[in-house]
Amino acid sequence: MRKIGTLAALAVVALGAGLSEANTAQAANSWGLPGEETARFDAKVVDVMCVLTGDCPTDCGAGKRVMGLLRDSGELVLAIKNAGPFTGTARDLVPFCGQTVTADGLFTINYGVKTFALQFVKPKDADWRGANGFIKEWAKERALDPKDDKVKQWFRNDEQVKALIDEQGKLGLKSKGITP
Amino acid sequence: MRRDLILGLGLALALGGGPALAADAPAPKRVTVTGEIIDSWCYLSEIMYAQGSAHHQCALWCARGGVPVGILGEDEQVYVVLKMQDDSAVLENPGIMKLQTNKVTVEGNLYERDSVKYLAIDTIIDDQGIVNYSHEEFDIQPFGE
Repeated sequence: MRKIGTLAALAVVALGAGLSEANTAQAANSWGLPGEETARFDAKVVDVMCVLTGDCPTDCGAGKRVMGLLRDSGELVLAIKNAGPFTGTARDLVPFCGQTVTADGLFTINYGVKTFALQFVKPKDADWRGANGFIKEWAKERALDPKDDKVKQWFRNDEQVKALIDEQGKLGLKSKGITP
Repeated sequence: MRRDLILGLGLALALGGGPALAADAPAPKRVTVTGEIIDSWCYLSEIMYAQGSAHHQCALWCARGGVPVGILGEDEQVYVVLKMQDDSAVLENPGIMKLQTNKVTVEGNLYERDSVKYLAIDTIIDDQGIVNYSHEEFDIQPFGE
């Protein structure tokens, strides 16, 4: 369980976010994570709730459920993070719900928990793509160029986040009179 | 009748086979968990200090960005939230974002699979709000503003 430099770590995540296109030779970029292991594997895209409980909407929950990658070995991989800043994998994986894809990224093991950061995904019979679906869709929903500074800093410009920070404060303690 | 049953089973498998997968899974355990609602990625990756008020803003960012929300239990275990009360749409969920960083006590079904503890919460028994004033030591994570 080691600590890594926050800014250095965020820099590599940001670098990952910039890799919007991927080629077949592209391998995962190291992020210096605990117990990090680069990996490329085939797996079925699944909705974790479905696998564990049998509650299975046909679309894997339309991007609102926790997503996983089910390997032929039976291992259920928690796809916890994509290549963008502060973003998860649902929008990268939901289009392939129930399909087998090739996933490329990093396993990390810490506190006894093994998770996977998805950097690239290759659907069957299609090209590799960078796993940055959230930020692409966020830009599209606002008719912004993906290279716009507002998009790069989506987390500071998102309407929901801004409204909650107005209400709660950055520390979440505004109602108690504590603000930065 | 028998033919219809076989056809029906075949159709169910062809349409995804979700229930068949679940049938292979062990039964869940009924649990009560007390802990802080966290951003699972920042905590597990140790990419920054990721507990309490210092990390509240970042936890909102990650929850909005679709990173799974977790609970860091008093037992120091991480529980990845799959369902909150009746809602399995837990990603980018405005209601769950409002609870971020709060200390809660919840009841639900625990599923353990391949080192991960998944929690389907059906009841929030207690919500104490934010009790960990970590900003006093760690400022605002990760950028200080």
